[in-house]
Amino acid sequence: MVRYIIKRFIVSIITVWILVTLTFFLVRALPGDPFLSEKITPEIKANMMRYYGLDKPLPVQYATYMSNLLKGDMGYSLRYKNRTVNAIIADAFPASAELGIRSLIFSVTVGLILGIIAALNHNKGWDYASMVIAVIGVSVPSFIVGALIQYLFGIKWKILPVAQWKSFAHTIMPTFALGLGTLALIARLMRTSMLEVVGQDYIKTAKAKGLSPFQVTVKHQIRNAILPVVTVMGPLVATLLTGTFVVEQIFAIPGLGRHYVLSIQNLDYTMVMGLTIFYGAFLVFMNFLVDIAYGLVDPRIRVGK
Amino acid sequence: MRRSLKLMLAMLLVLSMVLTACGPKAPAQEPTPGEEPAAGEKVLRFAIGAEPPALDQQIATDTYAIMLGNHLYEGLVRVHDGQIQPGMAESWEISDDGLVYTFHLRDALWSDGKPVTAHDFEYAIKRLLDPATASEYAYQGYYVKNGEAYNKGEITDPSMIGVKALDDKTLEITLENPTGYFLSLTNFISLFPVRKDFVEAQGQAYASEPDKILYNGPFILTEWIHEASLVLEKNPNYWNKDAIKIDRVEIAIVSDSNTAMGMYEAGDLDFVAIPAARVQEFVDKGEAKFYYDGAEFYFQFNVNGKTPQTGKFLGNANFRKALGFAVDRQNFVDAVLKNGSDPATRYVLPLLSGVNDTFAKEYPYEFYPKNADVEKAKELLNKALEEIGATADQIPTFEYLTDDSDTARTSAEAIQDMLKRNLGINIEIKQVPFKQRLELMTAEDYDIVFAGWGPDYDDPLTYLDLWVIGGGNNDTGWEDQTYTDMINYIRTASDLKARADKMFEAEKYLLENGPIVPIYFRRRAWTHVDGLTGLVRNFIGADPDFTYADITR
Repeated sequence: MVRYIIKRFIVSIITVWILVTLTFFLVRALPGDPFLSEKITPEIKANMMRYYGLDKPLPVQYATYMSNLLKGDMGYSLRYKNRTVNAIIADAFPASAELGIRSLIFSVTVGLILGIIAALNHNKGWDYASMVIAVIGVSVPSFIVGALIQYLFGIKWKILPVAQWKSFAHTIMPTFALGLGTLALIARLMRTSMLEVVGQDYIKTAKAKGLSPFQVTVKHQIRNAILPVVTVMGPLVATLLTGTFVVEQIFAIPGLGRHYVLSIQNLDYTMVMGLTIFYGAFLVFMNFLVDIAYGLVDPRIRVGK
Repeated sequence: MRRSLKLMLAMLLVLSMVLTACGPKAPAQEPTPGEEPAAGEKVLRFAIGAEPPALDQQIATDTYAIMLGNHLYEGLVRVHDGQIQPGMAESWEISDDGLVYTFHLRDALWSDGKPVTAHDFEYAIKRLLDPATASEYAYQGYYVKNGEAYNKGEITDPSMIGVKALDDKTLEITLENPTGYFLSLTNFISLFPVRKDFVEAQGQAYASEPDKILYNGPFILTEWIHEASLVLEKNPNYWNKDAIKIDRVEIAIVSDSNTAMGMYEAGDLDFVAIPAARVQEFVDKGEAKFYYDGAEFYFQFNVNGKTPQTGKFLGNANFRKALGFAVDRQNFVDAVLKNGSDPATRYVLPLLSGVNDTFAKEYPYEFYPKNADVEKAKELLNKALEEIGATADQIPTFEYLTDDSDTARTSAEAIQDMLKRNLGINIEIKQVPFKQRLELMTAEDYDIVFAGWGPDYDDPLTYLDLWVIGGGNNDTGWEDQTYTDMINYIRTASDLKARADKMFEAEKYLLENGPIVPIYFRRRAWTHVDGLTGLVRNFIGADPDFTYADITR
């Protein structure tokens, strides 16, 4: 188990390094440069390029960047000129993470419940009801859900605050808008998986042993059926926790989401790099956790003791 | 099955408890939506579209930082509603040749209680021009003698720059050329004072947090939650604090204009921009107001063309004008933009100052009609074809470069339709991100681009001098000595009337021969709550200006 973890850890580090290197060169290959603007003169731009070390050859820039990165320093943003990338991410991540955790709890619990109810009542009213919710959740994009509930609950009925990130009441609508799609995904996944498992021999065996329907469902059916859900959890957690542009935009949440889009638009190299590293490392780490979780959850997978 | 259903119910219960356990973080002081702030204190609430990237006086470039800077800091003068008022300078003298300005500073304090001195201005201007500061707006200091040379590294001795604190209260600025609008330029953030000891103590983190800034303006920043909100409070040390009526300003950072509108409708904001789709609704209710934001949009032609084939046509002035007469500007602003913008029938923005009144009032002019003049357009096209020696079926398809937003798409399609219908000319729309568009323009890799420009200072020259030979933004290939000579005369002329006459002449010459066809002057729609007074919308510099605003609820 320890050897497995170490091996996986080394692979993760290499993955992140490749990602950093690729992004470093790709973002610089984009047309334009960070200081391109309508009013800038060539001399002033050259001055700024020199100040930020962007006039040096690419390999030199890369070496400087990597050596700073190893010290944990991702540099100053080229747009938010008085703030470091580290500080910007540290400021924005908590809001994204909080929203992500809330919508994760909401979507996973409700999604699993819906999926299980649907599977246990296959082809009955409950099944259809759950799946209607799931289909709506998958097919209606979050910006429509967000705008709709914002209009109804915020503007028309004035029950909840329209936008911003201040109190618990401010979090309800964005949590719902962000979580609905994931909820639907999990519900459908869980339902399919439950239905697949129910035909397996070990379920028949369990029933033949005379176990109660409750024990069959919880110990054998759900435990085996939950595996595909665990598989998608890694990327899902990473996506939800590191911010989403649309929901953050609609509800004016100071999260990471808008930085993904804006840093590319502004060609803010250091910010693009910082976000890539942050998101990449987070994603790789979550997948790493999922791999380990497999060993714990799946009765068929036992990583060497 | 029964038991599993019970289990589900139990899980649902647990879930609901988990969710509520996440609990409110700040239950007591949080105002519920629509609730008015406490009586007595005058609070102004509004939204801005993005986080100000920097509040450092010499680094800031964006519109929100300029707006905030106008309220947190104060320069030598304060420009309010187009009028120059004394600011940190109580009085000033200008030498007869218009080159030397002597400012006499009043007794004013920084927010830490120390006096604002002439040395703070001298330091600020030298800091702006220092190549090591790498200021994007360094050119705002090029009016000062030797400023440009120092910034470009041609001279290295900062004492040669034309700014000098004669004593703590007297500042002398020497200019490169007589510049009639220099006084109002000192109201621009780049020339605002900073204090050496404080800036150096903060290093690169200067002005990144409220406690890393020194204030000398009517307000101080007391809270800055990055990307979320800012709170300003009245500055008790401000010299003119009795004229300031607002006690507290709460600014939300909201990038989605529909969300900001929602917050306004829920009673969370006191004024707001109206999203394009809802302008008509507010006009019908009689609640819409409009203001020019200074931006003008025009066709910019590459007179050499992207290919020799297109260049043959685009290099002909009559051909370019034909396109100009084929565009129905009124229809374009009414049906496509729907934001109250003005059709541009001339080149100079109607609000810019002339000698005593606005330039547009002193020199009224209409080169292009508001509606398309198809007759005239066809006449010009035929003339052009004759000059070029080509026939109508030889006209190639032109590339029309524009931004990648949705509105740019619909605008471009409307133009495409008008040119096709009125002249039979085809354009192919090419949408690219903003920065890529600028790069393609610099490389002169386009046929026609839909470009815009906002004024740097209150004088028609800010638009006119773009198109001189060798001008940094003249990416058109149009090199006209007559025009350049006119601009050079305007740049150094000290007789204001003769200068203005020459600007009018240059404008007419440009419309007749130049590489641009003006399309519209942008206006923006906004609305506010009853009881808000004294808020000024500006087309240049800081907008909005709430310095002397008042609100009664």
